[in-house]
Amino acid sequence: MNANHPDLKRMTPPKLSLGDRLYVPQVIAGLAVTARHMAGVVFGDSAITVQYPEDQHIPSPNYRGVHRLNKDESGRVKCVACMLCSTACPAHCIDIVGTTAPETELWGDREKYPASFVIDELRCIFCGMCEEACPVEAIELTGLYDLTGLSREQMIFDKTKLLSVFDLTKDAEPMRYGSPPSRPTSSTELVRDSI
Amino acid sequence: MATITINGDAYTLPEGEKLNAIQAAKLCGVEIPYYCWHPALSVVANCRMCEIEVGAKDPATGEIKMVPKLVPGCQTLAKDGVVIVTDSAKVQEHQRMIMEYLLLNHPLDCPVCDQAGECGLQDYSYHFGQATHRFVEERTVNPRKDVSDAIQLNQDRCIMCTRCVRFTREITHTGELHVMNRGNHAEIDVFPGVPVDNPLAGNVVDLCPVGALLDKDFLHTQRVWFLSKHESICTRCATGCNVSAEENRGSLWRFKPRHNPHVNDYWICDEGRASYKEANNPALLASMYVKKAGTPEPVAVDQAVAATERGLKDVVARGGAVAGVLSPFLTVEEAYLMARYLKSLSPQAVLALGPVPVSGGDQTFAPDKTTGRTGDTSFVVPRPFTIRGEKCPNRIGVSEVLAHFEGEVIGWESLLARVQKGEFAALYVASDALDPAFDEVAAGAIRPRVGFLVVQDTHATPLAQVADVVLAGATFAEKAGSYVNADRRLQYAEAALPPRDGSLPDLDLFAILLARGAGPVRSREVLAEVAEAIPAFGVARGGVVPPFGVVIATTPREGADAGGAAVGGPAVAESGSRFSDPWTTVWRDHGGRKRI
Repeated sequence: MNANHPDLKRMTPPKLSLGDRLYVPQVIAGLAVTARHMAGVVFGDSAITVQYPEDQHIPSPNYRGVHRLNKDESGRVKCVACMLCSTACPAHCIDIVGTTAPETELWGDREKYPASFVIDELRCIFCGMCEEACPVEAIELTGLYDLTGLSREQMIFDKTKLLSVFDLTKDAEPMRYGSPPSRPTSSTELVRDSI
Repeated sequence: MATITINGDAYTLPEGEKLNAIQAAKLCGVEIPYYCWHPALSVVANCRMCEIEVGAKDPATGEIKMVPKLVPGCQTLAKDGVVIVTDSAKVQEHQRMIMEYLLLNHPLDCPVCDQAGECGLQDYSYHFGQATHRFVEERTVNPRKDVSDAIQLNQDRCIMCTRCVRFTREITHTGELHVMNRGNHAEIDVFPGVPVDNPLAGNVVDLCPVGALLDKDFLHTQRVWFLSKHESICTRCATGCNVSAEENRGSLWRFKPRHNPHVNDYWICDEGRASYKEANNPALLASMYVKKAGTPEPVAVDQAVAATERGLKDVVARGGAVAGVLSPFLTVEEAYLMARYLKSLSPQAVLALGPVPVSGGDQTFAPDKTTGRTGDTSFVVPRPFTIRGEKCPNRIGVSEVLAHFEGEVIGWESLLARVQKGEFAALYVASDALDPAFDEVAAGAIRPRVGFLVVQDTHATPLAQVADVVLAGATFAEKAGSYVNADRRLQYAEAALPPRDGSLPDLDLFAILLARGAGPVRSREVLAEVAEAIPAFGVARGGVVPPFGVVIATTPREGADAGGAAVGGPAVAESGSRFSDPWTTVWRDHGGRKRI
């Protein structure tokens, strides 16, 4: 695109008033905003910052922090190892090894589960695509924001750690969609319930 | 010359082929959806997905008369004057209805189903179906069961297309799978104690358009959209089946057959299907070795190659004889470069064919138009499928190279006899065999008689353990090159994996030894050289191998020498396109509904 392209729109800078050109009145106006905020913090209760770590910041409900792996009613990991989260992940930070579920009473109704589920929290960009992609609401981002570690290895979260994040946060942040209904005995019941 | 009308446009069909409406429409770029039809199986028209409007044009008046009801496309002969309509509201409503019907009892298992991503139900549901499910009754739930040790059947995902049943009846003539019960209770099953254990059993998994039949070897390991497909050739036997080697994260995960009417038709055998595992074998040679003070020590690639060159040149300088062993697992290009290298060292170098593994005899499945067939077979072109007893991919190709350089093909046994007589001061063995080719006996027979021994292999065989230099070569998955199958068909295989750490593809090793110059050597360039140098490979001029391969010229020596079934054919490139079910390939256009 050259400088004479017809799609280019020419803009002229706005004309400055005398006050603008003198510069000092604008500085004073800026300082007045600062002074108003300072007064609000000292005399009122309008501080935006908190005295961390004495005071804990409570993020908004849709804050995207550390991941957790949800559990179902039987305490099993809800994840079915479909790998849609690792497919959706733009940072390629999720690594799942799926395997056939054992034919025990506990796992009888499940076909596949993750033998290993690893998230590299350092590589993650906390975009939330994984929880959006998840068809069984197994992966969720919690409000935990103080994610620290002493080494890179510590920041690679495995299945156990991600499940422990669930135990840690399930009371403060219940599962966003609850648990899906266990296999309905008859779909007509579902329809009747919804009516 | 037949002229047919599809959706108002007139198309001319090629001469001499008997096509149904699905095939004819595909040739003209119009897709008719189907499930139960397969070109190798008889037509039963039971999925009803391919139903279209069919009519005929009166040649005299030009008047078009349509059949009042919809007609299955798989059963409609595309002959002159046929008019078919695939995009009318009537057809689209029918397709939507069939999709809804097929999905009535289908569980929403896609997240845990291995077929997801290459599933006929997913693709057609997206293009021809609807997003809602109106069925409020109880869905039929069938427990999953095993139909053999290697194949699992999830009956509630089945759409009763009976492709698998027809395969076992019509192709293998073993008939293990059956439809049990009727109507809503119909299910695929085997009789008690009679599992699907024929040598081609794995193909029923490939045939299944949905996730009902699943390979337990691949079960729940990968999602198919992660796999990158490489057009490869199976090296398990001399048939040279066309396979797609599917790779993710540096490992092969499965082989799937690729259609080649001249070689394997649509199938591969279970033994070949399982042979992908050899590429992931953790015991493969991970380093090159040079013997120092009696013990082999791992060295860098350049040192091993330098040691090879030094050792061989020493032997030649001292007037010793050099022999080379070219295994039938080498590609044509590798065999050519190796032969050239050894002949450039010493024109008197003796080149011989490595051991040719043979296990049992050939096993041929010869479907015909009647045996086991129950449906309409007028569109079927039955082709035999042979599992060869000769368990190597390229005996004929290597033999042709040897015959060019040596004038004759010296077999392994006769070379071994000469080695034991102490004729050779240096021996260069290039193997890369799928199974370890040299045992303790061979090592014991060779080692004391040879001053300088180079072994190039992928396995740490007993022979490699006693060698002076061990060069870590490439497995079938790590090398690109061409193989000549038992029918003298030259076929090109792509590399599916990068070279293992510590190894180098054989072609590169020979190129370095030959000092061909900097940069990696390209197998196509070498093949072009082979085509120039050796008349038999003249058909691959310019290093170009047609998609279905090409039959190389017969030399008079071949039949008398190696005893192979030399089926010389015309050296022409065959036309025709490779068949694959639409759901196994990526859909080109996700927007349109009319032309997919």
